[in-house]
Amino acid sequence: MDIELIRARLNLYALLQNFEQLVQLDREVAQSVKQWNVSIQFSVLNGPSASLDFQNGVCKHAIGSHPNPAIRLFFLSPRHLNKMFDGSGTPIPLKGFSRLGFLQKDFTQLTERLEYYLKPDNARNEDGDYRRINTTLTLYTAAHAIKELALLEPTCNAVFSHTPAGILQIGVLPEGPYVHLVLTKDGISVGKGSHASPTATMTFRDIESANALLGGRLDAFQAVAEQRLMLNGMIPIIDNIGLILDRVEHYLK
Amino acid sequence: MNTFDYSQSQAWFARACKVIPGGIYGHFSPAPCVPVSAYPFFGARAKGAHFWDVDGNEFIDYMCAYGPMILGYAHPAVDEAYQEQMKLADSNTIASTKMVELAEFMVDLIPIADWAFFAKNGADVTNYATMIARAATGRKKIIAIKGGYHGTSPWMQATGHHGLIEDDHANVIRIPWNDFAALENVVNQYDGQIAGFISSPYHHPVFADNEFPAEGYWQKVEQLLRKKGILLIVDDVRCGFRLDLGGSNEHFGFKPDLIAFCKAIGNGYPISALVGAGPLKSFAAKVFHTGSYWYSAGPMAAALACLKELKRINAPNVLRENGTKLNDGLVRIAKSHGYTLKVTGDPGMAYYRLIEDETLMLQQEWCGECTRRGAYFTSHHNWFVSTAHSDEDFQRTWDIADDAFKAIKGR
Ligand SMILES: Cc1ncc(COP(=O)(O)O)c(C=O)c1O
Repeated sequence: MDIELIRARLNLYALLQNFEQLVQLDREVAQSVKQWNVSIQFSVLNGPSASLDFQNGVCKHAIGSHPNPAIRLFFLSPRHLNKMFDGSGTPIPLKGFSRLGFLQKDFTQLTERLEYYLKPDNARNEDGDYRRINTTLTLYTAAHAIKELALLEPTCNAVFSHTPAGILQIGVLPEGPYVHLVLTKDGISVGKGSHASPTATMTFRDIESANALLGGRLDAFQAVAEQRLMLNGMIPIIDNIGLILDRVEHYLK
Repeated sequence: MNTFDYSQSQAWFARACKVIPGGIYGHFSPAPCVPVSAYPFFGARAKGAHFWDVDGNEFIDYMCAYGPMILGYAHPAVDEAYQEQMKLADSNTIASTKMVELAEFMVDLIPIADWAFFAKNGADVTNYATMIARAATGRKKIIAIKGGYHGTSPWMQATGHHGLIEDDHANVIRIPWNDFAALENVVNQYDGQIAGFISSPYHHPVFADNEFPAEGYWQKVEQLLRKKGILLIVDDVRCGFRLDLGGSNEHFGFKPDLIAFCKAIGNGYPISALVGAGPLKSFAAKVFHTGSYWYSAGPMAAALACLKELKRINAPNVLRENGTKLNDGLVRIAKSHGYTLKVTGDPGMAYYRLIEDETLMLQQEWCGECTRRGAYFTSHHNWFVSTAHSDEDFQRTWDIADDAFKAIKGR
């Protein structure tokens, strides 16, 4: 098992997609990206790649190569990429030298904002808006990370191999966020939003419960018994996806 | 029909969470009870086929303590034998003769048994059985069935569960139930390396229909294993004494080398047993396996009384009749509401599923509505009936089931 490769895929596919939400959820961020018209490609030599495309205040994340990115960032190895995500490495820019200022200033500010929302502390979590954004981003990150681990990580793959096919919807009452995972024998795809006919559902009573559970401050069994987390349908899907979810934190710190 | 309030259960749960991991852990965890709001968490007392929760709600019990309760809670003959023994001694510094009497009784009752060994839980004896198989064959590997449950020791659990490491499964090979070709394949692939094959007498997984052995399956298995010198271990922890007093293998017509019993053996008193064929006795003696309470004489006296009573009333027949009666009624009521209730497994410990909904959501709602009206039904596990369930209980259960179908209609 190549831990660096798994981490690189989680960084590119699970973490980076958060910018899609971030530009919608945070007013300050929305303001500052309104004028952006820029695409950034992240590529690892013989490895995973993904891009972010900012247009008219919307961010689109895509796996693979962007047809014509404005900025192309290159990494010699998964480890090289992971170091950048850990804040201790710099990429090799292959294209977009005139935009280096943008990268160093504007984009760095954006990534710092993402980090701010993904690294809660007690004081931050007191704020309802913060809690909502943190919960939303954490939920989406988790869903995308589960997809990767189910495919790549041996233990998760073994768990996934005996998980029934179906659709698992995870959501928060009363107004979301929702994600759904579509499980087939070949793998998982993640959809944002709810699903019309899920096979199993995990529904949090409120954002506080979701926040506490995803933040590791609330035990899942307790949450279920206290009806802060309601389960429904094919419980073996929930059990197994829960096991994979519990391993996400080993890779995404 | 009235539905129950569980505020006391919930208050106790809040207290429990402060001092107990998960509040209530393991198979009693409320987590698979869906919706959780329909289920009580804490019991106050139990008698016959009924139990009462801490809110004072009365339930007709169709889980029977997840199997142990076979004659009804607080059965007079079993409780009296236990009390009598408790006046004399329970845990002691030396062994009780009750152990010898119980072993003698079991050796008489169970055709393949030439000896018996006692412990507390199912996993104590499923573990012991695999240790004996390894000691007797000098081989490492154990074959088990995918989705088969033998307890919570690391090797028995599915990959990925917390606290397990990959090495735990290094010598366990899982094959699908009822798949003789798969067994043949692994037996050939690991020729000379397999110590034993452990399986329940029929497949009773959770969240899925239960499956009987295919025609001739066990006979072919037995023949192949004998030829290869692999020991056949039946995990009769859940089915034991419910299908046949001589071991469930008698019901299906085959002869294992070792049988693990627990649950129904003592009508709820804590005791399990491994019985085995003569040639394994010396290996069983060599394997060191023991526990602080394995010699408690009270549960041995209770088990002796329980087995005698099961024999006297021919319990497997009573359970089959009771189960069939319950099931026929439920199937009929479901049909009258336009649903098909599929009943699989032995009638006295069947698994129920409303086939209209593959997701189990309908099933969960119906079981939940029945429970909050007083018929304790789970939606994930096979149920159990006891010899104490009466016609009156079944009539009440059918009325509840009917009302519950009305409640879920149109949701
Ligand atoms: C078939 C089977 N084997 C083994 C066990 C484990 O028994 P225990 O929980 O007493 O260790 C169980 C418990 O449900 C069981 O159903």
